[in-house]
Amino acid sequence: MSWFSAAIGTTDLTILVYFLVLNSFYAVLLILSIPEIWEQTRLAEDEDFQRLMQSDALPPITILVPAYNESATIQASVTAILTLEYRNYEVVVVNDGSKDDTMEQLRHAFDLYEIPRVYPETIATRPLRALYRSRTRSRLLVLDKENGGKADSLNAAINASRFPLVIAIDADTLIEPDALLRLTRPFLLGREIAAVGGTVRVANNCTVKDGRVTDARVPRKLLPGIQVVEYLRAFLFGRLGWNRLGGNLIISGAFGLFRKEYVMAVGGYQTSSIVEDLDLVVRMHRYLRRNKIKYEMPFIPDPVAWTEVPESMKVLARQRERWHRGLIAAMWQYKTMLFNPRYGRIGFLAMPFYAFGEMLAPVVELLGYVITAVGLFTGMVNVSFALLFILVAWGYGMLLSIWAVVLEEVSFRRYRRFGDLLRLLLFATLENFGLRQCTVWWRLKAFASVWRRVHVWGDMTRKGFGRDEVTAVTR
Amino acid sequence: MSERHFLLVVAIVQGALLGALIVLIVLNRWFRVRRSTRLNPRREAVDASMRRWTAGTAPLTGVLVGLSRLPVPLAIDALVKWSARVPGERWRQLALALEHNWWARLVRANSNSARWWKRLECARFLSVAAMPQDVGRLKRLITDRHPAVHVAAVASLERMENQSLTLTALDRLPRLAPTVQAYYAAMLLRSRPVVVDHLQKRLRRAEDPALPRLAEFAARLAEPALRERLTALADHADPEVRTQSARALGSYPHRESVAALKRLVTDEAWTVRAQAARSLGMITDAGTLPSVTAALRDDVWWVRLRAALALMRFAAAGRNALLQAEVGSDAYARDMAKLVLGLPAQALAEFAA
Repeated sequence: MSWFSAAIGTTDLTILVYFLVLNSFYAVLLILSIPEIWEQTRLAEDEDFQRLMQSDALPPITILVPAYNESATIQASVTAILTLEYRNYEVVVVNDGSKDDTMEQLRHAFDLYEIPRVYPETIATRPLRALYRSRTRSRLLVLDKENGGKADSLNAAINASRFPLVIAIDADTLIEPDALLRLTRPFLLGREIAAVGGTVRVANNCTVKDGRVTDARVPRKLLPGIQVVEYLRAFLFGRLGWNRLGGNLIISGAFGLFRKEYVMAVGGYQTSSIVEDLDLVVRMHRYLRRNKIKYEMPFIPDPVAWTEVPESMKVLARQRERWHRGLIAAMWQYKTMLFNPRYGRIGFLAMPFYAFGEMLAPVVELLGYVITAVGLFTGMVNVSFALLFILVAWGYGMLLSIWAVVLEEVSFRRYRRFGDLLRLLLFATLENFGLRQCTVWWRLKAFASVWRRVHVWGDMTRKGFGRDEVTAVTR
Repeated sequence: MSERHFLLVVAIVQGALLGALIVLIVLNRWFRVRRSTRLNPRREAVDASMRRWTAGTAPLTGVLVGLSRLPVPLAIDALVKWSARVPGERWRQLALALEHNWWARLVRANSNSARWWKRLECARFLSVAAMPQDVGRLKRLITDRHPAVHVAAVASLERMENQSLTLTALDRLPRLAPTVQAYYAAMLLRSRPVVVDHLQKRLRRAEDPALPRLAEFAARLAEPALRERLTALADHADPEVRTQSARALGSYPHRESVAALKRLVTDEAWTVRAQAARSLGMITDAGTLPSVTAALRDDVWWVRLRAALALMRFAAAGRNALLQAEVGSDAYARDMAKLVLGLPAQALAEFAA
């Protein structure tokens, strides 16, 4: 049995080293997020910058809105987008061969008339049926095309766009009125920006009026409540920390502003990709590094978009499994970037972190649980040590979540009520007991799906904002 | 130290940190509530005294006392907010009085600070309360490496007319991002005579790498005194300079400008041709109608679009040219004419912008 105990011991040590390295890296991100959020908060409050952002000098933006079977919400969503506080923008809505009356709703609501297609098809897409302009809203262009998926719709919208900056917005995402203005700040700072991401927050339980979140609340239900903490952690300290390390690998597809010339240079969104935003950002990094183009892809925390998150375990499981499947696929597809000096910090920091720290994390965590169980069963690990180890692992998770709450509190404080703050702290604590283990399981299932080459979109059931009825959105 | 001891230490440290973070969150809330309870009345008092002073029913002393009772960033916020509402002469009284105020002296001293946020504070203050002796500080701040600082400092040009300050901003302009350039340009408009004089000299330097940006800025001014220089740039070797020249010449309905534009509409660079077509549409000289109609058959879509939109501005003659193209033999011209003739007035205005 000596080989067995040696194997257990080695695995145990490997897991401990992995745990130390990964968590030390999280600690680095945590420390780096402090000066970053401080600087961003100061710039967000600077009134002269506000004045610059409200001047005619702003860069023009095209908003891309893919829509598939969004009949119930499309009118309200597009109207809300058309009333954003920004001087120079156009909205390109793409009806991706909806089976419901999305197109009819658009035609009726915005008094559309058909125009000929005169721009070149730079990125190949599924055939267009027709193009429409609105008699009532001059900023609006509607594309009706055959069904090809979200990435294909975005590519069609990019082809039709006129402006140098493009932002993809889901039809069911609520953008704060000044979010576009704020999102352009890095471009005004004169830096070489290839893309910029804003914060996505959880809209469940918030009061929504005329397509705007008027009162931000933390949900009372456990599942969406925990996701509020998750989103805060992912955006406020994870991505801010990465700003200082020069390599944000994720710009949220629900809310990210891109320089069109670079999106076109990499061939637009990849239709075969499972998580098209991650895939696009990795390809842009690869292209820009290969061509030695100076660039930045920062995340800025003050522009906010609100989205509904799953309230049932079934839907959440599908979403997380899909996200992880996308991550595995991207890491595998772009494996040549890993530790490749040609890609600088992306190759040496971001890619290894996402490959080993994110992609393999559920495997290592599962291994940890198994080894602990085996060790306890065979008497090689004593109970108090195992419990202490688990306590430290979970305690660290809690520490990171509560740190995200601290960053929110000292900066933007969207949740004004004391009750909301208490709920945030409670959910940050409860996250480690149950949901974390479920997430490990869902992410492990993603490995199995990749192995079986499963390529399907999950169903996302949304309740809709400010309505009682339930809208089913299937992609 | 054994593994167990190590983990125990980590667990204790984590526990302490968790406790500290929760205390921090609670203290932060408490501190913010207390601070706003304390400061809100003071802020309101400053607003009230500013209102009374602006109306001439109270002396300036009340405003100065109120400002000195606020924390410096809030006092600067109040100044920036009120600067747009108080008439110029009255505002100068306040700026003069602030010169001897203790907190204003501290803020001025921050123009040399190593911390960008301190310099930003100074730039914001000087943007509304600068005096002639602040020119040196402002010149430094306009050339500051932090964008927020120089953007704040350049706003001082809205209130101060000073040649060296204007020239400092003008020198920086070509090196800025397009958006910030446009903002600088708006700020520089107040010092028009100095700017025009300087541009006349700079636009003569054919080898100046900043020439395209300066020409772009000159185009924004639409200043008759610059017409001659901008016309001369139509023959420059750099297509970007020619593009800016083509764009600028649309504001000058002069026979030399028209002649230059007729040349530029057949330029080898499509960006130049597109701008020239647009500018010809702005001047609408009947003699240029054949050139614009010919541009409707250009290989590049954007040139054809600009030409078609320009023809729409030629009234009946232009419209007739488009109607002919719509049934003509050239497929490119046919498509473009069909597109533009089908656009409603609103869309036409939007495209033409």
